[in-house]
Amino acid sequence: MTDDMLRAPAEVKYAEELDWLESIDDGPKPFSWRLSPRMVRLFVLGSERSDGLDREIPQKWFGDRSFVERSIVTLASDRGLLLIGDPGTGKSWLAELLSAAICRNSTLVVQGTAGTTEDHIKYSWNVSMVIAKGQSRQSMIPSPIMTAMEQGVIGRFEELTRSTSDVQDALISILSEKYVSIPELDDDNIVFAQPGFSIIATANSRDRGVNDLSSALKRRFNFVRIPVVTNKRSETEIVRFRTEELLRRHRIELDVPPTLLDILLQSFADLRAAAASATSDDEKLESALSTAEQIGVLEDAILHSNFFGDRTLRAETLAGSLVGSLARRSPEDLAILNKYWHGVVEPRSKQDGGPWQGFLEGGRQAIATLS
Amino acid sequence: MSPFGALREQLLDAATAFAGAPSAVPGILSGLVDDVDRALREELEIFPVCHHSPASALAMVRRLREKQPKVIYLELCEDLRPLLTELRNCRLPVALQAFATDLDGFPPAWGPLSVVAPITEASAEYQAIAYALETPGVELVLVDRSSDHVFQWSPKEEPEAAGHGDDAGLHGDAVGIEIGDLRPRFAELEEHLLHHGKVRHWSEWWDQYVEQPLAGADYDTYRQVMVLIGSLFRRLGPGGDRLARDEDRERYMWTRIREHLAASGADPAECLHVCGAFHAASQVEQFGLASEAPAYDISPRTATRWLYGLIPSSHSAIEAQFGLASGSVSIAAATWAKAVARGGDTPYQLAGQKGTRKRSARVRQGAPSPPAPVADRLSGFMSKPPALDDLDEAELLGWCVDVVRLARRNGYLASTADAIAVFETSILLAGMRNRARPTPYDFQDAAVTCIEKDAVPGRRDVRRLCEILLGGDRVGEVGYDALPPLARDVYDRLKPLGLDLEKRTIQRALLDLKADPEVVPCSDLLWMLRYLLPQDAVRPIMGERRLGERSIQESWDLSFGRHQRSIIELGYEGVTVEQVLEQRLRRAVWEPEATAAAALAAVEDALLYLGGRRFADELGARAVELLAAERTVDEAPEVLRRIRRLLAYYRATEPELPAWCEAFVSTGYAHYCTLLPTAFVDEDTGVRQVGAMLGFLFTLESLALALGCDRVQLELAVRQSHPEAPAKMALLWAAQSQLGLLPLPELRARCDELLANPLVIPSFPLYIMGFVQAVEPVPALAGFVVEVISKAFGRLPDTVLLPWLPKLITMLRDQAGELMPMLVREAGRTFPGGLAAVDAWAPPWSERPARSAPGAERAPAPVPAGPVTELLAGHPAACDAVAELLGCDAEWRAPLAGGADHREVSALLAGHPEAALAVARLLA
Repeated sequence: MTDDMLRAPAEVKYAEELDWLESIDDGPKPFSWRLSPRMVRLFVLGSERSDGLDREIPQKWFGDRSFVERSIVTLASDRGLLLIGDPGTGKSWLAELLSAAICRNSTLVVQGTAGTTEDHIKYSWNVSMVIAKGQSRQSMIPSPIMTAMEQGVIGRFEELTRSTSDVQDALISILSEKYVSIPELDDDNIVFAQPGFSIIATANSRDRGVNDLSSALKRRFNFVRIPVVTNKRSETEIVRFRTEELLRRHRIELDVPPTLLDILLQSFADLRAAAASATSDDEKLESALSTAEQIGVLEDAILHSNFFGDRTLRAETLAGSLVGSLARRSPEDLAILNKYWHGVVEPRSKQDGGPWQGFLEGGRQAIATLS
Repeated sequence: MSPFGALREQLLDAATAFAGAPSAVPGILSGLVDDVDRALREELEIFPVCHHSPASALAMVRRLREKQPKVIYLELCEDLRPLLTELRNCRLPVALQAFATDLDGFPPAWGPLSVVAPITEASAEYQAIAYALETPGVELVLVDRSSDHVFQWSPKEEPEAAGHGDDAGLHGDAVGIEIGDLRPRFAELEEHLLHHGKVRHWSEWWDQYVEQPLAGADYDTYRQVMVLIGSLFRRLGPGGDRLARDEDRERYMWTRIREHLAASGADPAECLHVCGAFHAASQVEQFGLASEAPAYDISPRTATRWLYGLIPSSHSAIEAQFGLASGSVSIAAATWAKAVARGGDTPYQLAGQKGTRKRSARVRQGAPSPPAPVADRLSGFMSKPPALDDLDEAELLGWCVDVVRLARRNGYLASTADAIAVFETSILLAGMRNRARPTPYDFQDAAVTCIEKDAVPGRRDVRRLCEILLGGDRVGEVGYDALPPLARDVYDRLKPLGLDLEKRTIQRALLDLKADPEVVPCSDLLWMLRYLLPQDAVRPIMGERRLGERSIQESWDLSFGRHQRSIIELGYEGVTVEQVLEQRLRRAVWEPEATAAAALAAVEDALLYLGGRRFADELGARAVELLAAERTVDEAPEVLRRIRRLLAYYRATEPELPAWCEAFVSTGYAHYCTLLPTAFVDEDTGVRQVGAMLGFLFTLESLALALGCDRVQLELAVRQSHPEAPAKMALLWAAQSQLGLLPLPELRARCDELLANPLVIPSFPLYIMGFVQAVEPVPALAGFVVEVISKAFGRLPDTVLLPWLPKLITMLRDQAGELMPMLVREAGRTFPGGLAAVDAWAPPWSERPARSAPGAERAPAPVPAGPVTELLAGHPAACDAVAELLGCDAEWRAPLAGGADHREVSALLAGHPEAALAVARLLA
């Protein structure tokens, strides 16, 4: 089944694993959850030998254990979960994994945009059916959130802060009363949430201030802040995990040399340190320098090497991708990258040699092309 | 037969089953059991402890009550022993400190050396100390290496920077000593334990896996488990220097114990050796009383002079120094308090201990129990899951309600609903983490999840609020009696202020020095303390003290409670504040990097704070020496400012100048004359410095000449100066003008020339910078400087003027702040005062050339008529002869009609004679 899809949702991709976990799960399950909280954690964070399982469950989300625990516990309480963090920190991926593990359905998603309306959160009408048969439950189109309420599963709301305040506030009654009334209907006009319903929303901390959440809504969400991964080891794991997945998806057979991975991680770490010490926005890159961006850079380099190169990932290509991905503003970003290349990469290439030299050359060329 | 045989077998079997191939595992596992076996069989009872562990403290209380030992050997620097009796005067936590500034045998760069050993109430060592000091006939012997050996043995380790709250820096940069340091020695092991224990940090791991299970355990279990953990970390340690040092410490301790036993003849059965669990599993050859190994050769201490004292400590300082998780010591203290309140054990306490609840000292003292045979408790402990504490619902509810209240007070929009959510989440989180009862860490996580939103509204976030709630940071205080003489003296002398200086809040002191003369000594002392202590400790709000000035009223913000450590450390330097101040000032002028400016500053400080001539004269004499030896003039502006101030002060207050002042001026005159030509040329010497040199030479010239200096020296120096930089060129011209070598009109002509030359115009602003600096040495030039600046504003093209203006402003502010009033006054005199006058105004300098320019088109001077003219015209021979003699080839001109002074009147009368004629007619 997964072969038919470009990107299968987590519950499909890990269906077999989830089935197995469900079969061995004897822990208490809240509401209509398919797995107990501990099994959900195990599914997300992977198993260890000390868990005493017959098979190994791979880790799928990399980050602090307590974030996952706090998220699961929030979903078991009657508050919604709001994952907040910089872009590319794995918020949506965690939300998807949690929904998949808890209710085997991670596709009930509302995407928050400036154009999201209350209808997208509650319900809308099939106009032709309304004309033909009048307003009834049949002619109503429930939103993903309403569907989640009816089924007692997790609904997701991506980028909550991108939608306008009045639309956000439609969630208040859903999260506190746990029902949606349909005043257009005379009877059967209330949809009650079934046990197990909850909402996982994600919000981008860089968008703060665009459409700030009202205090009433904030109160109904527990906030879990996902920081940018700075631990080198976890970051390596994440990049490796996502890249392998990507290579598999594109059916590309290409080796990512560990030294190049190190270079990528090191350069991001350097640039993050530079951004942290910058005093104005002009002195730091526009990019959040998240792990997702590293994966993006690597993906770009791999695809480039595969289709336009000699099917070997080279430091030059990696440098080109890095510059191409991070240089968004000209001249500010280019100036920072130029400074980095001459101030850090050049001495390092002299000192360490190896692929750093190729990285230096590739970066220089890319900067020269863009300037 | 060892009681641990079965356990050893079991572990060995496990090792063979899991490790497969031959490996080190069986050795390590059986070694663990051997260590426990050996430690427990030791004739001298070893009590293994871990620092900041309430379980250790509880076990200690129980054991002391039961055994009532006569001698306690404690793992603590032996030279700190005299301090322990002073603990009773303090509010814990405090730290025992050994401090040394006079180093002998250590690299000077290490100084000052400082060792601190913090003592908290919830620690096993405090229980042992309290028991030993409060029970008659019990001897407390510290057996660890001395503070001197700490530095002898170790390469100086940089302590971790304290980055917590205000109180986290209480220990300064001292090297911390802990009794019972028990933590994995390499990062991977700790990471492994944390990962598998599913906890975040070491304190949480310890709490969950050791502290809680051992809290209610019997003594044998406690002892065996602690030794086992000590042995585990020892055997899985990286070895190296640190282990070697630890082993030396163990040899040291056992040698000292044996020496003491031999000397005192104490019965080992009545003794107790309290040491870290790590050391209980020691494998050194000197371990145990039965050891045949020769005594460890203890190296003598160096000649470094060590001083001892108690300084206040805090939970956060301990956490910061020993790399513990924030809040962990507070949580340990809270756990201890709860365990004491709940259990039947009455802890020991030093009589008179401040800040603690007084517990009834009447405790049943049972007869010492005979030693029980060692039985294996380890197998049971390791094979059973820890007995879980039941959910203490009331306690958790209390926490939840309190944290919401606290959050609300700190700006969070928290409500009762949040309290409910925190309660529910804590239980769910604990359940997920295999705990029936939420630990403080679970509670903290739950509170953060439910209350913390996207931004922290106040100063503290929820995590910090939880720490405060669960005990908060506790800051100790050293009591009056335990203070060094200097600190006691300070408190005594400030008594007239009537403030409670031990409070940790800021105290405002109001001193009316006129109405209440008895506070004058307090004011003197406060000014000295302000000089010696950190900025925040003593802060004047109103009133100042400068040379020759004293306020009649002062108000001060005093924060002695928070800065007690600084006051105590002053006590290591001397007996009174005056002595310390004198030492510091003397040290400041005698150190190798001292400069003349610094020495003058010291003179000033000595006059301000200590009064009296003798010491100031001594420092002044040193200033003269320093000035004569200086090869740079970098500090010339500072020297000039200070010596002027001092001269003014002495002239105002003393009948004659002190000898050193005269020497300073004459030395300075000669010194700066010598350096002037180089300073003018040297690129590294700034304009301000040269300006200050000239200032010294010109403004103190009269005094210098009176003291026998020669002005020719200065003239020669100016003649020898050939600067190239425009600014310095301007300075030189100014100097020449002051010396009469360059008349003002010529100077003006030079400047006009510069302005007229398009090639020089871009650098003209630099000349102005020089002229501005010249106002200081040559104040008479102020008018000219205003003129030059006005001309520059008027004539410089915008491309030069506009970029330069900001530079001029910053330069004036940075370097010529004190000259500005003079320039502004001069400008006010030059320019018209009102808008209306501007149109008609012509700059004074633009007229002057028309009148007096010695230029080419010299208009014939009008020759006024009058008796003199008539006389000369009548008898021209004498004038002609003189003219001929002088070679002047001039002609006689006809005199004007009428008096020269009434030219206009004559012209008017000639033009309109009617009125005059009419008057004449009338009179006729």
